[in-house]
Amino acid sequence: MTGQPLPEPAPSPTATDAGIPSTQRAARPRWRETLGLLARNPAAAVSGALLLLIVLVAVFDEALAPTGPNEISVEDRLQPPSLEHPFGTDDLGRDIFSRVILGAAVSLRVGFLAVAVALVIGSLIGLLAGFYGRWVDDVLMRIMDMLFAFPAVLLAIAVLAVRGPGSGNTALAIGIVYIPVFARVTRASVLGVREEVYVRASRSVGASDLRLLTRHVLPNAAPPIIVQTSISLAFAVLAEAALSFLGLGTQPPNPSWGLMLAEGRGFIDIAWWLAFFPGMAIFLTVLCFNLLGDGLRDVLDPRQRTLMAGGAR
Amino acid sequence: MSDVLVSARGLEVHFPVRSVGLRRTGGGVLRAVDGVDLDIHRGETVGLVGESGCGKSTLGNALLRLVPPTGGRITFDGSDVTALDRRGLKEMRRRAGMVFQDPFASLDPRRTVAQTVAEPLEVHKLRSGRRERAARVGELLEMVGLDPAVASRYPHEFSGGQRQRVGIARALAGEPDFLVCDEAIASLDVSVQAQVLNLLRRLQRQLGLTLLFISHDLSAVRHLSDRIAVMYLGRVVEVGPAATVASDPQMPYTQALLSAVPVPHPARERARQRIVLRGDVPSPSAVPSGCRFRTRCPYVFEPCPDVDPALQPAGAPGQLAACHLHGVVGIPVADDTPEGVTTTPTS
Ligand SMILES: Nc1ncnc2c1ncn2[C@@H]1O[C@H](COP(=O)(O)OP(=O)(O)O)[C@@H](O)[C@H]1O
Ligand SMILES: [Mg+2]
Repeated sequence: MTGQPLPEPAPSPTATDAGIPSTQRAARPRWRETLGLLARNPAAAVSGALLLLIVLVAVFDEALAPTGPNEISVEDRLQPPSLEHPFGTDDLGRDIFSRVILGAAVSLRVGFLAVAVALVIGSLIGLLAGFYGRWVDDVLMRIMDMLFAFPAVLLAIAVLAVRGPGSGNTALAIGIVYIPVFARVTRASVLGVREEVYVRASRSVGASDLRLLTRHVLPNAAPPIIVQTSISLAFAVLAEAALSFLGLGTQPPNPSWGLMLAEGRGFIDIAWWLAFFPGMAIFLTVLCFNLLGDGLRDVLDPRQRTLMAGGAR
Repeated sequence: MSDVLVSARGLEVHFPVRSVGLRRTGGGVLRAVDGVDLDIHRGETVGLVGESGCGKSTLGNALLRLVPPTGGRITFDGSDVTALDRRGLKEMRRRAGMVFQDPFASLDPRRTVAQTVAEPLEVHKLRSGRRERAARVGELLEMVGLDPAVASRYPHEFSGGQRQRVGIARALAGEPDFLVCDEAIASLDVSVQAQVLNLLRRLQRQLGLTLLFISHDLSAVRHLSDRIAVMYLGRVVEVGPAATVASDPQMPYTQALLSAVPVPHPARERARQRIVLRGDVPSPSAVPSGCRFRTRCPYVFEPCPDVDPALQPAGAPGQLAACHLHGVVGIPVADDTPEGVTTTPTS
């Protein structure tokens, strides 16, 4: 019945309604537009570039590091920064430059892994709680509240006490700590989106809950979650450092920035470079994730987006 | 196969009202739809009018089960909508579509026009393969007067009228029999309203659609509709052929609505008597006993507070009004009799 095209000629849109968009540019995928806008925010752009560099260093760590992480050289102990050892050497004569590079891999791996755990589990919980409401919401969010009520470090220490120290367990511990954060951010965002008319419109044509959740609710609820991811990465790197500092995270002699910071603390009076360079690495990475998160927050806000896009044209 | 496509009997949608404070219980109910009887015949256009807040949207949504009814019955093409299983509901939603009021809110900002219009095709597996779906999307866009080349654009690139056309294309993609247009032109520019209205009329004729056209404006629907249903405080209080309801209303509320419409004729406009209603519309969470219109009715007399009037024949053939002026028919207010006992059979 409705399958046949109509005989009546369709008027062109320009002839019928006012306000046809004059630009004939093809629609670009959203993420490319997002990247374009992000590039106009200097702080976010520089942070993004720097993070990309740090990630590349972490990926190609073994190729980039001049020496192995644990190459001990007794005659080179506690050397200040020089051409041969750009970041100096530690009390065992190990090259700090190499250890900072190799530590990037450890710190970032733990950070990404931890945030991945929190993001996947937390967002799923928040999505279901926010979308279904009622008892689903009550049960899930009460559990999240319980988890959230524990002091973060105590909770992480408890997880590590049960599972034993080490990088993998550190990631798990930090991830568990951040699950309620993602659950709350996602739920709040979903609560707003699920009432949108376009969600009801999609339901009105027969879309299933799964389709509503994956095609409409999650994509539209994503911006705060993406921002939270970036900011949580900063916290996770910091938390890994803190736990390693306390001796619960990465175990010596493996290099991790937090562990190196802890080990260098004892030499702060006589050899500042032991703690300084891993500290700077942590500081820079955390700062970059935070600035990128702020930039994303601005760019992903639809109203902000229109303003920025309009102003740039 | 019956002549009636959509039918509501005693349909109720009551929302729980949360009382202020921490406790969720103890609140009252908001009677958004409160005992609606309405038949919509195959191929006809029914205009549903009433003041803002009287429950028109809730009724439209309930007919498609987008809002769960709390009482009464809905049938769609003979089958009980409230009893449908998941598959039945899905098929019902293919056969019944909805065009929403605000075209800026009803399109997902993150999906292209093509993705939006193709959604029913994907959900109901109406076209297999990307190519065929894209072709069908193009066809649908042409059908609503849009250039198929706009398929790859995002909603924010369009004007209100164009967005509403996209919304109509989506509603038509499942090849529905029944379309609910909920104030579909109300939020558009006046210049665009007529175009979209004409589009809907053309589509209705060409596709043989059954239309429920919701509007707060009686004058906007009288020329478009075959029949008009007037709603007041959650209830259809008058229904009948568009011409007679709009020219010779039998229910005082409709008379008041109509008297507020200016007449495009100077002499008759001067002669037009405005019936100004007393007071405000009561809250749907505190519906008056008996006739719900009695607190504002200029003709109120003794049965009004005691008997809830049922729709009964009044005026022209096919016209029904819920008013005791046409004979006291209805459900007496529960005093010592249990609620729901009918003194006179309602038809
Ligand atoms: N989801 C809801 N929860 C609670 N109250 C609602 C809900 N939807 C509508 N209402 C109330 O129901 C009444 C009827 O609303 P609606 O159907 O939108 O009226 P109309 O479309 O005629 O303007 C209003 O008082 C409105 O506040
Ligand atoms: Mg409405």
